Amino acid sequence: MKLLRSLILRPLRRDPLRTALTILSVALGIAVIVAIDLAGDAATGSFRASMETLAGKTDLEILANGGIDEHWIGALDALAVNATFSPVMEGQAVVDGAGPVPLYGVDLVASALEAAQPAGSQTVTATVAGRRRELKPARLAHSASGDILVADIAAAQQALGRFGKLDRIDVTIGRGEDLARVEQAIRATLPPAYLVERPGVRSDENQRMLRAFRWNLRVLGYISLVVGAFLIYNTISISVVRRRGEIGVLRALGAGRAAVLGLFLAEALLLGVAGAALGVALGRLLAGVTVRTISETVNALYTTSRPAPVELTWSEAWMSLLTGAVVALASAFAPAREAMMVEPVEAMGRGAHEHRARLRWRRELVWAGLFAAAALAASQVRPIGGYPVGGYVAALLAIGAAACVAPALVLAANYLTRAVTRRRVASLLAGRSLTASLSRSSVVVAALATAIAMMASVGIMVGSFRETVALWLDVQLRADFYVRTAARSAAGQYPPLAEGVVAALESVPGVAAVDAYHGMELHFRGERATLGSGDLEVVRRYGRLRFIAGEDRDAILRSLAQSDRAIVSEPFALRNSIHAGDRLTIPIGAHTVELTVAGVYYDYSSSQGYVVLDNSTLLRYLPNQPATNAAVYLAPGADQAAALRALRLRTAAYGVSIAANAELRRASIEIFDRTFAITWALEAVAILVAMLGAANSLLALVLDRRRELGLLRYLGASTAQIRGMILTEAAFLGMLAAVLGLALGGALSLLLIFVVNKQSFGWTIQFHPPRELLAGALALVWCVTVLAGLYPARVASRLNPIDVIHEE
Amino acid sequence: MQIVFYRILGFGSLLRWQHMRPPLPRLELRNVCKTYADANQPVEVLHDISLAAEAGSITAVVGRSGCGKTTLLNLAGAMDFPTSGEVLIDGRSTGSLNDRELTALRRTRVGFVFQFFQLLPTLTVLENVELPLLLAGASNSAETARGRLRWVELEDKAASLPHQLSGGQMQRVAIARALAHSPDILIADEPTGNLDTASGDQVLELLRDAARNFGSAVLLATHSAEAASIAGTRVQLRDGRIQTIDRA
Repeated sequence: MKLLRSLILRPLRRDPLRTALTILSVALGIAVIVAIDLAGDAATGSFRASMETLAGKTDLEILANGGIDEHWIGALDALAVNATFSPVMEGQAVVDGAGPVPLYGVDLVASALEAAQPAGSQTVTATVAGRRRELKPARLAHSASGDILVADIAAAQQALGRFGKLDRIDVTIGRGEDLARVEQAIRATLPPAYLVERPGVRSDENQRMLRAFRWNLRVLGYISLVVGAFLIYNTISISVVRRRGEIGVLRALGAGRAAVLGLFLAEALLLGVAGAALGVALGRLLAGVTVRTISETVNALYTTSRPAPVELTWSEAWMSLLTGAVVALASAFAPAREAMMVEPVEAMGRGAHEHRARLRWRRELVWAGLFAAAALAASQVRPIGGYPVGGYVAALLAIGAAACVAPALVLAANYLTRAVTRRRVASLLAGRSLTASLSRSSVVVAALATAIAMMASVGIMVGSFRETVALWLDVQLRADFYVRTAARSAAGQYPPLAEGVVAALESVPGVAAVDAYHGMELHFRGERATLGSGDLEVVRRYGRLRFIAGEDRDAILRSLAQSDRAIVSEPFALRNSIHAGDRLTIPIGAHTVELTVAGVYYDYSSSQGYVVLDNSTLLRYLPNQPATNAAVYLAPGADQAAALRALRLRTAAYGVSIAANAELRRASIEIFDRTFAITWALEAVAILVAMLGAANSLLALVLDRRRELGLLRYLGASTAQIRGMILTEAAFLGMLAAVLGLALGGALSLLLIFVVNKQSFGWTIQFHPPRELLAGALALVWCVTVLAGLYPARVASRLNPIDVIHEE
Repeated sequence: MQIVFYRILGFGSLLRWQHMRPPLPRLELRNVCKTYADANQPVEVLHDISLAAEAGSITAVVGRSGCGKTTLLNLAGAMDFPTSGEVLIDGRSTGSLNDRELTALRRTRVGFVFQFFQLLPTLTVLENVELPLLLAGASNSAETARGRLRWVELEDKAASLPHQLSGGQMQRVAIARALAHSPDILIADEPTGNLDTASGDQVLELLRDAARNFGSAVLLATHSAEAASIAGTRVQLRDGRIQTIDRA
């Protein structure tokens, strides 16, 4: 303990700025992870809380693709079981004064009868499915996750335009009743296509649906921690180098190897735990800011969710502290082990140590090759449990490979630029000093390069994805106008168009065709997707739907009418390993339908995927299914503006929203950009951590070389020249990191695009690196690296040459 | 305007006066005192030191460790400033110079040799010698440096790194570096303190040569009688005060 105090704590106190920078680096890494986790929980944790807290415990849930015919309630009530069957409708409403709230339709009349109370005559005015309505009886209730609108089932059905249909039936078992017996009785009564599930299945579906999204976000969050790990490695390495003499003396005085190892691991542990503690607090604050962004993404891409309050539990806090400690120990192990190996007689200075580091670069190159080969092999591994584990492992191995290349890169760059750098004393000394302190400078290069690579790879991936989506939108969105209800709806919601809208659209002069689309939730193999149908003959004639290579578009679309054939989107096909020609068994309403997959088409609008039938097929099984959207194609030469005016006039009474093609494309790209906003924020944190690391390491280099810097002053160097030298070093480091980071970023982007994304979301992304953006970002990072050298440069120029030259 | 006029007038009269006077010593210390504040207790390291060194002369400052030799050398090399008194280089007080002028002075007029050589381990021998010239932005720096290496008979080691040399060789390189820009004043702090006798003799010979061939005023701090024997003037320091000044 005493040794720890004098050998570790005292030096840490003596260098408060460097200690603070290291702790802050770890803190930022941990903070990002905590923030992402807490915000993710809060943003997705409220799927089912609302209704459950209101309605109490439910034992079983009955669901059906396309809804349940309400007459089944009577049949279930007639069963000789001690159970209650409660019909439920779900939707969204905008209540005056309360804003958007979830709408739940329940049997208020029956509930009131049971409670021997009047059902109440409260009326709530709300906008549902684009129209203002008075719901009666209805009331605004308060649940754990916010306000909800509870209306009588009939009022809800009417408002949602789903007459005779129920979204769900909740089953509550009476006291003493056997659950299995009730379940068996229900299954025997209902059509086999209906799903009878234990409660929570929808929540589980939601969690499953979001797991890839949350996993990828979490992995991005870990980037900062990886960068932080490099910095801990660096700090402990510096500590070992500086105290080599002391270690030798300690060993000579009888300290065991384990004691030396323990000392340096204790230093890392101290930094890791302090950083993690600060990180937890910082993460809790960040989560509050992040939850909204994540929630918006979940709503835009997946399903309705309302952010719940951010809650930091003790277990999460302990877990974060543990993560900080483990990362610190793991990253400090190599330098601590090196300290352990110091022989008592070998209490040597930095020169010899650095000389050894220079000699090791060949061996590290071999390691780089091995890591790269292993990364290539890992990238070929199929997803494990739905997670692209191979992709992540390959990414880590690629980072390892780059870290091993760093020493050789520093040496090679110095060697190649010798002729140029020799001309200016600042560049000559900067280049040489970086190679002289190779073990340290290469770690800084690796840490910075990792952050740059992450930025570059995510930049390339997002840029490529954006370009792919833009191209896809050009192909996919061929209609002149798109029509939906005026109600704002999140992903996973399918508010119906009022009856008569499609006919009204068709009657507008200049309209050549209207494709009425029916969308609904599809429960398939424990996951959520969308079941849809459209007028595929219209799509064939006017659209440009692209099928995966080799599939004949016209033939596929022609084959769908009046047949049990479907097309599926690429993510759905990949997620469920489905190919053209396969057969799918899908429950539709009360029917179990055996569909043949006619083709797989490219789609980037949902990672959950679509199964699309022709209207003629769907309406055979669900005759009264309302359309949810419509695509309007104008005749050639028709006046768009005039047509839009006429369409708006004709549908004024129906509460619909009509978007022109360009408007929808713009909105889609806006959603896309918003979705990736958090990704950029995470990248920025990783870069910030790397910058702190650069400043920290440059400061360490300055303090270690203070005698050399003092000597330069004796030899006639001006303070400006000393400053220039340190800034040149920073620029040199930044440049090398940019080169390595860009190369690594290119490799990682390929992994992200062709492995991680493909396995997580099932999207085929074309490679379109955003060159200007990358060049701008790299220039910015380089500038910031140079700026990170300002403080160390100031310290260097203010050293007292007399003091430092004579301290021996 | 009037002030400018008087300054010009004053400068002219100073020039005339200088012309009439005998040549100034290269280096002159006049009543120099140096005090450090140590835990609020002032410690006088040098007391009333006065001495002068002419071009081509060798002055040895002799005394025990801690007697103030290194402080005196730092003051003479314009790396530090006296608490009172003056250090004059070619008649100009170092205390009157700003940072830029001091840097220029070190680049052109002063060379340093240290006990522990202080070569930069990352630079080759040639680059080490070239360093002061590069810092001063001199042209033909490589050629000049090579010439100095030839003078110390280490031209064949030009591409070597310092750790590949012996102690004596390193000190010869340090002397070559100190004389790279032909300084008027060469300050050597215990230059033989870390060397064996043979290497020490070689170094002393080079210092003698520096005074003779480069016309530098050599100021040498040592506690070796042998090293002091090459000096024309020997200043004995004791507890920061000059005890004796012997002239050969």
